[in-house]
Amino acid sequence: MGNIIKKLSIGLVVGGALVGMTRALEFPVIYQMLFLGFSIFGAAVFMLLDAPSVGTMSGAKSVIALVVFYIVLCTVFVSGASMWPQFDPEDEKEKIARILAPKRAATEQGKAEELIARTKALDEQVKALEVRLKALGGDHQVAKTTPVDGVPPVETKAATGDFMKLGEEQWQLQECYNCHKLKGEGGKKRGPELDNIGSYLTVDEIKRKIIDPKSFMAEGFEKDWEKGKMPDKFKDVMEDGDITALASWLNTFKNTSVNTPKPIKKK
Amino acid sequence: MMKMWQRSLVALCALLVLFGGVAYAQASDMPTVEFPYTGNRTAVWIVAQLHTLFGAFVLGAPIFIVIAEWLGYRKQDLRYDRLAKEVTKVTVILFSMTALTGGLFIFVLLAAYPQFTTWFINQFYLVFTVFYPLLFMSGAIVLYMYFYLWDAWKGDKKGRHIALGVLLNLIGMTLLFVIDGPTSFMNTPVKAEGISPQEFLATATLWDKIANQTWMPLNLHRIDGNVAFGGFVTSMIAAYMYMGAKSQEERAYYDWMGFAGNLIAVGATLFQPFTGLLLAYEMCDYDFSFCPYMMADQLSMFFEMQGAMIGLMFLAMNYYLWLSLKRIEGVEKVRMTILAPIVTVAFPFVMMVVMNYYWIPDPMSLAFLVPLILAPFFLGRFIPVTVSARTVIKIGFFMVIVGDAIWLIPRGFAATGATMVAELALPEAWDFLGGMPAKLSAIFTLVFVTVVNYVLYNRAIKQGTILWGKIDFTSQFVLIFLAFTSIWTMGLMGAVRSLVRKYFHTYNLVPDFTAESFTPTLSYSAWWITGISVVFFTVVSFAVIVALRPSDSKGHVPEGSPLPVRAK
Repeated sequence: MGNIIKKLSIGLVVGGALVGMTRALEFPVIYQMLFLGFSIFGAAVFMLLDAPSVGTMSGAKSVIALVVFYIVLCTVFVSGASMWPQFDPEDEKEKIARILAPKRAATEQGKAEELIARTKALDEQVKALEVRLKALGGDHQVAKTTPVDGVPPVETKAATGDFMKLGEEQWQLQECYNCHKLKGEGGKKRGPELDNIGSYLTVDEIKRKIIDPKSFMAEGFEKDWEKGKMPDKFKDVMEDGDITALASWLNTFKNTSVNTPKPIKKK
Repeated sequence: MMKMWQRSLVALCALLVLFGGVAYAQASDMPTVEFPYTGNRTAVWIVAQLHTLFGAFVLGAPIFIVIAEWLGYRKQDLRYDRLAKEVTKVTVILFSMTALTGGLFIFVLLAAYPQFTTWFINQFYLVFTVFYPLLFMSGAIVLYMYFYLWDAWKGDKKGRHIALGVLLNLIGMTLLFVIDGPTSFMNTPVKAEGISPQEFLATATLWDKIANQTWMPLNLHRIDGNVAFGGFVTSMIAAYMYMGAKSQEERAYYDWMGFAGNLIAVGATLFQPFTGLLLAYEMCDYDFSFCPYMMADQLSMFFEMQGAMIGLMFLAMNYYLWLSLKRIEGVEKVRMTILAPIVTVAFPFVMMVVMNYYWIPDPMSLAFLVPLILAPFFLGRFIPVTVSARTVIKIGFFMVIVGDAIWLIPRGFAATGATMVAELALPEAWDFLGGMPAKLSAIFTLVFVTVVNYVLYNRAIKQGTILWGKIDFTSQFVLIFLAFTSIWTMGLMGAVRSLVRKYFHTYNLVPDFTAESFTPTLSYSAWWITGISVVFFTVVSFAVIVALRPSDSKGHVPEGSPLPVRAK
């Protein structure tokens, strides 16, 4: 018992000191608690080191001890994993559906599904027209129809005219923010900050950089350029229209107060 | 225990399922089934992980077994021979389970993803229909020969038996290399700059597909991992038998077996972080977007959990060693240079600074770190100040906790960068604590402390006397904990390796259009990993009971000498 009290006291003192230090250094509260947790855990380890020996068990006693041990292990591992922040798959599902939509449409199954959807939509339109014509007493004037039963009208997003929004959407979908900082968000210095990229590159040049990452090199990112850190997959995973939209959107960023590194043409 | 013909029948049935599956895959318009409760992806995950676990054991254990048999032959120590034979008994049973789960895996895969499976088998037709079955059958034949010839090939023929074990390992190793081709291909398919993946694949040979960028790192990581895994499971078998032992003699033997298994497992585990890093490095080099996805985005908390598990494993490895030291008579006289604890304490901080300036692959970091690591071993003898073994190990424990803490400090308590807010993130001045140099220094600290402790242990057994069978009973739970935790971690990292493909079956080549192609939560994954580990443990425990039931060991008498007469 003396061992436990002694080690626990040391753990609490060290933990308290760590909390005080981290608070002074403006660590968020959750980190302060984390350091306290490490300290208590450390105390528990040292308690275990100096704990008295356990005598040999046998028979049913050892079997019960073993089963209890496994139950404790499983509970600790599952609850331990559940305590970390959990990624919400719902955040990703819509993104994935959007990214894969053109690829799915390009497959035989996708084409067949699109054809069926179109046929259904046309069928519904014809039925609606028939009803309308009957109501009008045989008037042959064709009225504009609206989508029926949630079947989307077959038109591209670009056709909506919101081209810039499509570009911004691609920035999010392709998770460019993981490497590039823009509007003060994302980046972590993996790639150049892009707030002033529009002052250096035209839409076509940005598009070229996305399609062939080796075509331009940002100043100060020589090693990253040599290693080919920017993936050369976007020409394969993005539609041409989407790349144009992203490049056009990026070209609107001309904030000269941000130190966007100068791109050097390499190809 | 199953007879040889029964086991052969099970293996044959599994292979028939495999061939049948391959043939079925060639048929067009196969309907997709929906697995109830789990869904298709989790159903594949369960059988794939079970197959991987059984496969890892039957590939890893023979490496361990042959080393033990050879040591027994060389040292003329019958205990090694008995250890090798007992583990082989369990391996033979689990080989059948590997074949069964393999057959089940291909069946579930075909039912759940018929189009992709057809495409995938076509890409590796020779591997799946010729090389893999042939190697599997050869492995089965040689394993059964190895086991059933154990008593026939002793004495003068022992060398021949060891050679058969080496052949078994060569087949196993080739099998691993062959199947790692398709596995790694799914993550990093062959590509070339400026050419679309589909176009390049059309011209690629089978060898191009197999020898992709992560093939060799995966091979190295798995060989090393399988040896560690074999060692940990052997220790677990020893712990079970120790708990069931009726005599002091039996306890002494199983105490020794647990120690020997753990020693090999620890040796292999020390390399695991490095082969794992090599694999991650090659993946990031292949496509840098893997890196943030793993370390900073959707999978970042999986890596936090990995840090927690590996930290616990290193604590347990060193705790077992601590308990082992307690049963050595004369350990109190063992001392070590004061440089060892000094370097241990300084190590993580020096390495963090050095790696921040000279990141991999800059060799300049070695100019600072290698002398630091070697200092206690080479300069120690010139410094007269020494400290006791207990002090060195206790300081080591303190640094393992510090190392674990460094490893576990996240950049922020948010699962993705998109949900990160200042209240949950490290202050900017301390952001380096969440970076790779800090994590690497933590890993190296854990490894360094463990190496120092084992060097110390080696001195202790040279200067003192080990009282086999007198170890603290807690140590047996530590061995079981290590086996369970290593299996759980394998499951976790297996899930990560698979999830890194994101919404592709084969990265950038074959998209997964199903509704399940998203990143699951860590909590959901933990439930399944735990469930899979429990199933695996139950089967292994059953195999241990069947193969090594106490009635066998109770009346154990040396079955003749495994050594040639002239060696005595």
